[in-house]
Amino acid sequence: MSLPSGVRPASTADGGWVGDFGRALRAEWTKLRTAGDMGRLLLLAVALTVAVGCGTAKAVKCPDVGCGQDVVRLALTGVTVGQAVIAVFAVLAVSGEYGTGMIRTTLAAVPNRTTVLTAKAAILTTVVLASGTAAVLASLLAGRYILPGNGFTEAHDYASLSLAEGPTLRAAVGSVLYLVLIALLGLGVATAVREAATAIGIVLGLLYLFPVVTRVVNDPEWQRHLQQISPMTAGLSIQATIHLDELPIGPWAGLGVLAVWAAAALLVGGLLLHRRDA
Amino acid sequence: MTATLTPHPSPPATRRAEWGGFLRTLHAEWTKFRTVRGWVLAMAGALLSTIVVGLLGTAAPAPGGRGADSASYPRGPGGEAVNDSFYFVHKTLTGDGTLTVPLRSLTGMADTGTTGKTVQSTQPWAKAGIIVKESLTQGSPYAAVMATGGHGVRMQYDYTRDAAGPSGMPSEESPRWLRLVRAGDSLTGFASTDGSHWTEVGHTKLPGLARTVQAGLFATSPEAKQDTAAGTGFNPAVATGTFDRPVLSGGWSEGAWRGTQVGGDAGTSGSYSNALKGGFAQTDGGGFTVTGAGDIAPVVGGPVMGVGFSVENFLVGTFAGLIVVIAVGTVFITGEYRRGLLRTTMAATPLRGRVLGAKALVAGGGAFAIGLVAAAITLPIGERSARGRGFLVFPVTSATEVRVMVGTGLLWAAAAVLALGVGALLRRSGTAVALVIASIVLPFLLAASGVLPPSVSEWLLRVTPAAGFAIQQTLPQYAQVLSVYEPSTGYYPLPPWAGLAVLCGYAALAFGLAVVRLRGRDV
Amino acid sequence: MSDESAKATIEVIGLRKRFGPRLALDGMTFAVRPGRVTGFVGPNGAGKSTTMRVILGLDAAEEGRALVGGVPYRTLRRPLRHLGALLDASAFQPSRTARNHLLWLAYSQGVSPRRVDEVIEQAGLGTAARRKAGGFSLGMRQRLGIAAALLGDPPVVMLDEPFNGLDPDGIMWMRGFLAELARQGRAVLVSSHLMSELEDTADHLVVIGRGRVVADTSVSELLAEASGGRVALRTSAPPLATRVLHGAGATVLATGPDTVEVTGLPDEEIVALLARNGVPFSQVSAHRATLEEAYMELTRDAVEYRGIPAGEAAR
Repeated sequence: MSLPSGVRPASTADGGWVGDFGRALRAEWTKLRTAGDMGRLLLLAVALTVAVGCGTAKAVKCPDVGCGQDVVRLALTGVTVGQAVIAVFAVLAVSGEYGTGMIRTTLAAVPNRTTVLTAKAAILTTVVLASGTAAVLASLLAGRYILPGNGFTEAHDYASLSLAEGPTLRAAVGSVLYLVLIALLGLGVATAVREAATAIGIVLGLLYLFPVVTRVVNDPEWQRHLQQISPMTAGLSIQATIHLDELPIGPWAGLGVLAVWAAAALLVGGLLLHRRDA
Repeated sequence: MTATLTPHPSPPATRRAEWGGFLRTLHAEWTKFRTVRGWVLAMAGALLSTIVVGLLGTAAPAPGGRGADSASYPRGPGGEAVNDSFYFVHKTLTGDGTLTVPLRSLTGMADTGTTGKTVQSTQPWAKAGIIVKESLTQGSPYAAVMATGGHGVRMQYDYTRDAAGPSGMPSEESPRWLRLVRAGDSLTGFASTDGSHWTEVGHTKLPGLARTVQAGLFATSPEAKQDTAAGTGFNPAVATGTFDRPVLSGGWSEGAWRGTQVGGDAGTSGSYSNALKGGFAQTDGGGFTVTGAGDIAPVVGGPVMGVGFSVENFLVGTFAGLIVVIAVGTVFITGEYRRGLLRTTMAATPLRGRVLGAKALVAGGGAFAIGLVAAAITLPIGERSARGRGFLVFPVTSATEVRVMVGTGLLWAAAAVLALGVGALLRRSGTAVALVIASIVLPFLLAASGVLPPSVSEWLLRVTPAAGFAIQQTLPQYAQVLSVYEPSTGYYPLPPWAGLAVLCGYAALAFGLAVVRLRGRDV
Repeated sequence: MSDESAKATIEVIGLRKRFGPRLALDGMTFAVRPGRVTGFVGPNGAGKSTTMRVILGLDAAEEGRALVGGVPYRTLRRPLRHLGALLDASAFQPSRTARNHLLWLAYSQGVSPRRVDEVIEQAGLGTAARRKAGGFSLGMRQRLGIAAALLGDPPVVMLDEPFNGLDPDGIMWMRGFLAELARQGRAVLVSSHLMSELEDTADHLVVIGRGRVVADTSVSELLAEASGGRVALRTSAPPLATRVLHGAGATVLATGPDTVEVTGLPDEEIVALLARNGVPFSQVSAHRATLEEAYMELTRDAVEYRGIPAGEAAR
């Protein structure tokens, strides 16, 4: 390595790391804001999440014999679809730069790789937090209006959806965080592999393959372990509000599993970004 | 020298020249494809991941420490997997003969799922009646006339065949007389409500039926299907037939009636419990009550299949490979946009439809070959390994197996062409890959998860590209076997080739739009 | 020398880098000084872009150091205020407008958005700045790249092949622009694989071949060196002229039936000698080598005599 890592800049009058980070943040935000179809992608994510949530809520009926449906989870089914768009969004935020060569401009402007990646992660987190909250709230609201019409009434022991209830609030907040973590997973993978198609293939593969494989695994123990490490199945256990003891993994622990996946992806991406010629 | 002066074929070019032009374009595209190392490696990766995921996914150790190769489904005369478990009160019949018996009642008991509690409940396909069966060996040819819990009197034979007779349940007030006539290899079933007026229920020939057969009374019942809050469950159930004294004519043995649980246990679709056991008792008037569990029917998928694999289970890696194939198919065209290579391509071959056609053929052909090879490698290895660990493997005919292998290749080919078309339309690899993966895999996942009601799941697998996975389905569906025939248990709403046709339709649509769009757009 | 290197704004010291089996940089060493345009020339694949990427911290060298204002680029906090660079004119996302591209860059350096409009004017982007950059011609892309390089008002500007794709007007503009930057006291490093592009632009030249410096010299020195004091003489009496000039210590080479090439005497002395001895002649002209010739000579050497250390080749 030609660059001794110990060398600090001659002048610190520029305002320290916080100042650097602030500027990088602002730059990343401008980049994201002006990238054209990024806003459309986020809108699509919200729309798809709500639409699929509505569709599911409309389709599932609770017959008089009773049903074991978790209404909160039902209303939030759209997250399984919306996450794909969020993943694309996160991947494009990085691979778009690699595809055009702009990453070199970015790294020339902000040579500290950690700062770049952290700033990107922070912006993505903020943006997905906002759109995810909108999507989740709209889904719950739609469920609140649609589900009672399908038999999910007090007569069948279903209260109307309300964030005032602990488990519902947990599912709502958790679903938003789930989307954020999916975005960070996408960011990490895209930083590591650079190419959009590959990155999206990997992210969607990670998300979708586990549940597909779990279906055919015949051994209950194996099945449970697979569900415990699957980023999607484990992560979405945060949406459960009933029969918690039957889940392969608890709600927060499940979200933690996804967080570990995202952190691992970011770590690998960050290391490669450091090591690799741009 | 003169040869070089030969004028170009003037337009309209001959068919042959066009064909030659297409071959050149095809050759060019093939060269483009195979010289990008990443793509070749990716295709190899698709092959490998399909095999590895498929084998790992089905690698679980067999439950209950079952010995290697100890388990296999009994096979019916047609080679199909069958359940052949029932309580049989039988005598030997040599040559021709007739058995007539009034059936006083058919009742059932079922476990409720809570420990040891049973309720009176007759399953729709609980059976009690008379049967002529070549031997006590499972899977041997038979013909039977029976009353059922919910489908009236039936004549069934050789496991898959089912003919309806008079409807209604037998009772003390109105018993059902059942009669089975054997003449050589021909068997005819009759039913009557008074013992004097007979209706023919069905007639069949069982070619090669042994001269000496076992015949008598039987009762059997598949498990009770219960829709509970947690989903569909199956609980142990038995059926009891109460018969009056049987009337015999022909070459019957003189010995006493003997009771046998055919198959030793109740098979995959039935089960006994501590409270529900099989057996028979002779009543005062020479009649019998026979109680049994199990079924005499083909094995189908769903919970009644038992702990086993169907052929398509080994191909679960198809999803992994498919994702790779989709990515490669997309980048095959979007890569040209990004690097401006498309301008060179179009300069070399100004016919844009031809370029796209050649690309589709290369991507689709490559995907087909890899998919076919992946399936052809995975299936035999997976089957052998699962059998070796003591799993049941649902048997299929060679023709079905070939259909699944070729179908997997075609599935990949269609997905690759779809990816190519969408890639050409969107020109953005990331969005295109996500769209195609999501449109093929997501509906499948949503439908298979069991969250959605079956009607919605089936609708999803009819109209989305995920319909194509139907080509891999080998599990059969029979009206006379109660199971969960839903996407969540591996049943597609469309027949195999129709499902694949839906996916191909999407691919053709995307490809067509891409050609139109590419022609009309500056590159 | 030590005095000058203290003022150096880009220092490249002994860079070495491999791409697989190929040695891309092989002890690359040079310095760029303020107030002049330094041309960075060499054949394709000589290592120009790689060197620039190492300077920017985009690529890591296996050995050696690249310093900007005395420190490695990657330790700079607001690097665009120290060094503005144009590497790849198309290194932006096509869906973004030129102005927005500059805007995010400005934010990353804490540069005010007002400066964005200034550099848009300076680079001559004008109203095009509000269009999507993806639709730009190569010339407009170069201008956008220049604007980005100027954003932080840096004392050092580094441009990789800025003449590529420019029309004659654009080339004229670029030359004036580079000269102006140097006149403002900035250090300007401009790479090119065509010496002719730099002939009227560069004050100083760093010529490289096969990953090392072949010559680090001023343009006039290089020309003098390449011309080698040769004088072409046209005379109706070549044997006589040869005898006279030879007697005065010059080397004479017949180059045609009535032309000879004289080395070792300045042209005015040749004229005086010939006149004094009554040798008829119709034309005496000092041979002036073009920069292109000098460059061809140098880079051919670099290819043929790879073993010579850079220090000996450079003057």
